[in-house]
Amino acid sequence: MTVLILTCEEDLTADMVVSTLHDLGVPLVRLDPADLPGTVALSADYVRNDFHGYLKAGERMVSLSSLRSIWVRRPGTPGARAAEQSTWLTAESEQALYGMLTCTRARWMNHPVAAMQARYKPWQLHTAHHSGFAVPPTLITTFPSVARQFAATHRDLVVKSVSGKHPGDPPLVLPTTRISPDVDFAGVAAGPTLFQRHIRKQADIRLTCIGSHLSAARKKSDPDEVDSRFTDNSTWEPVAVPDAVHRAVEGYMTTAQLAYGAFDFAEDTDGTWWFLECNQGGQFGFIQLDTDQPLAQAVATWLAAEPFT
Amino acid sequence: MRPFALSYARPAVKSPTSTPYTYDATRQLNVLPDGRPATCSRAVLLATGTTASTAGSKTHFDD
Repeated sequence: MTVLILTCEEDLTADMVVSTLHDLGVPLVRLDPADLPGTVALSADYVRNDFHGYLKAGERMVSLSSLRSIWVRRPGTPGARAAEQSTWLTAESEQALYGMLTCTRARWMNHPVAAMQARYKPWQLHTAHHSGFAVPPTLITTFPSVARQFAATHRDLVVKSVSGKHPGDPPLVLPTTRISPDVDFAGVAAGPTLFQRHIRKQADIRLTCIGSHLSAARKKSDPDEVDSRFTDNSTWEPVAVPDAVHRAVEGYMTTAQLAYGAFDFAEDTDGTWWFLECNQGGQFGFIQLDTDQPLAQAVATWLAAEPFT
Repeated sequence: MRPFALSYARPAVKSPTSTPYTYDATRQLNVLPDGRPATCSRAVLLATGTTASTAGSKTHFDD
């Protein structure tokens, strides 16, 4: 049975997993949905007893019934490289491809429905709270007066993107940024804004959950540092996962129906891990490079398991 | 009116435009000019940034 990997060609993190699958002798097909239609082709028929069909990627063919798992890594937008690209063609291609794949018995990392839900920051915070994590006080609002009140109460605040996306055209980045409680909040009315109480941290924690495999890494931090993604000043080191966090991660993953999740925490000066977010498609290559934790191997092992019966 | 959060946005640092590897469709992974898998080179992995913690946010909003 075959592993299907949906990702772009330049994805070296996927390469780390592909190499391991080769070593394990597990057949795989790697394709980018952006190449449908084109070098990626598909066909499925419903005549009786469910859909039967196949995918073609370059010279490789794979039947839908022979898929053991599907890894949604960094797929391009379906139809994006078509000769006559259009919004309509993207919708048609997306519906055909993902619609067919959701009819299979294959295991997903992660299922598109679960992934879509798991991207919502408010849902993440809600689920984290109910799973037993420590969650910083958070406000999402378009009311400037509510933002002012939140700032007056919590004083030390950060602002961050609700969606996790960075503004484009021209390309901009929006790091999590500390703000003064006395700033002018009038602009809150122009777009939903996420405020969170700033956690003075002594370290960043990245916990990667792959099936039932948990690995955590820790990076020392200056208490005044806010977004370590944009400072890059120390390396990640392996760290043990506290039992309470382990249980909370299990609860979160079960509720979210995720096979993969990359959790970010801020470790405060008391050692408490504060939940910041769970990226359902978060990167893991940079952690493996620093810590030698076998994350790509864990992903490959999960993908190589037999499908649900 | 400008959304509040955009007051804290800053220009993105441009990524290197050239990569020292090419995709090998037969092996289904990227290879170096000498034919070795690109993942054999720690220097390449670190330099290209495709494995970095900010790599996702540039294209797929998952870091």
